[in-house]
Amino acid sequence: MTEYVIIGDGISGSSAAETLREEDPDSDITVITDEGESLYNRILIKEHAKGKLPEAPISIHDEDWYDERDIDLSLNTHVTTIDPDEKTVHVHQDENISYDKLLIATGGTPTQLPVPNSDAAGVHHFWTFQDARKIKESAESADDAVVVGAGLLGIDFAAVCGAQGVSGKYLMRGDRWWRYALSADGAEIMHDGMRDVGVEPVFDSGVDRFETDDNGQVTAAVDPNGERYECDFAGVAIGLTFNTEFLYETDLEMENGIVVDEYMETNLEDVYAAGDITRFYDVLLGEQAQNGSWGSAKEQGRVAAINMAADERSEEFQWVSSYSITHFDFPFLSFGHPTLGDDHAERRYSDTEWRRVAFKDGKIVGGVLIGDLSPQSTFKQLMREQREVADQADVLLEQSVDIDKLAPAQEQ
Amino acid sequence: MATSETVDRSPALRRVESIPADATVRHVDQLEPSTLTWFLEAIEAGPTAALEAADLEDGDVIVFTACYRIDRS
Repeated sequence: MTEYVIIGDGISGSSAAETLREEDPDSDITVITDEGESLYNRILIKEHAKGKLPEAPISIHDEDWYDERDIDLSLNTHVTTIDPDEKTVHVHQDENISYDKLLIATGGTPTQLPVPNSDAAGVHHFWTFQDARKIKESAESADDAVVVGAGLLGIDFAAVCGAQGVSGKYLMRGDRWWRYALSADGAEIMHDGMRDVGVEPVFDSGVDRFETDDNGQVTAAVDPNGERYECDFAGVAIGLTFNTEFLYETDLEMENGIVVDEYMETNLEDVYAAGDITRFYDVLLGEQAQNGSWGSAKEQGRVAAINMAADERSEEFQWVSSYSITHFDFPFLSFGHPTLGDDHAERRYSDTEWRRVAFKDGKIVGGVLIGDLSPQSTFKQLMREQREVADQADVLLEQSVDIDKLAPAQEQ
Repeated sequence: MATSETVDRSPALRRVESIPADATVRHVDQLEPSTLTWFLEAIEAGPTAALEAADLEDGDVIVFTACYRIDRS
């Protein structure tokens, strides 16, 4: 009987556990997590923090779900080390758990801003359900907010402020939000969305230090220009630090994440990884990549489990990810790898519509759609087919994309 | 974007202002690719026959720029 151990009960770990039970009904499956609650809907916790969604629908699996599938779930359990030679996982209760095959799906932890008083009361990071509960409670009584981190995670804080009626200043280091993927035209639409919910973008700024009162409560943020912004709520989202400290004594290959191939295999025998923590080989991109979307993590967990149960390279990971921002009146969708590639094309269509398509070697590798998401399935299809279409960007940028206007693939 | 009036005329996709605690709720990013395509088309142009193939249950709520409930009744 094969013993599978999964470290992490996020969507990738949980997806793997479910798949392993289906693929190997007689096996032993253990899921270990340092969180105190089983799988919940991490995408929806921002809606709870906004006050739009009650707690109950956010829970996905109760403990019965694991019992019904004969999966051993260990909550509040911290892994301290693994021994790939002995094939054991060591946990903080001084216990060793043996495995035949191991999946690491521990994700990350929000990176703390390296400035004075970044741990003050009222300064929040946003990753777990428990974080969301605290943010909701804090925002409900706040008057003025500062948000730091001009990316996909930081904008959730801006949305919380807007929904909770907190006046906000969004301090950005550069001249626009998500400057790696958006031009000034695209970013301006997002800036207008922020302003519409009461959050003012502040450019060429950031935070040099937070100020606190005698009780340790944040009272202001001071930016590198010396500008002072009063606040009783601060949201920091400058990135994730991957949870790999328990792996430092191993020879596991890491490069800002765990390096895996397209089968989710690491360089260590019978050790796999899935989810946000991986630097995986993206077969569509043709190079190692990272992705933090829900769908990608779920699929990586499933593919890892298929290969673990098959005990061979049975299925490769091939996925076009989506990440949406749904906080404003207009939709926003990022797909694939919009910040990578060697070329891009973009166009603004109206005050709320903009499109960017990123290419590598003539093929679409990602993009961003604002306002009009109708081309998303066509662009994803072209990605999967790896069609060379960069020289036909004018067709891709027409308001309504007609795939039949592209030169047939066999003629290229 | 279609207005909510367009959607509200649909028998299958209704905009809702609040979400009950016992609802099954999904963010749009959690939809399967074919369901996402159906949903986005339904938002724009009203539901189509493709709804029958979509993996959505009656009463499910989808979080998008607003919240939408699947209504098969």
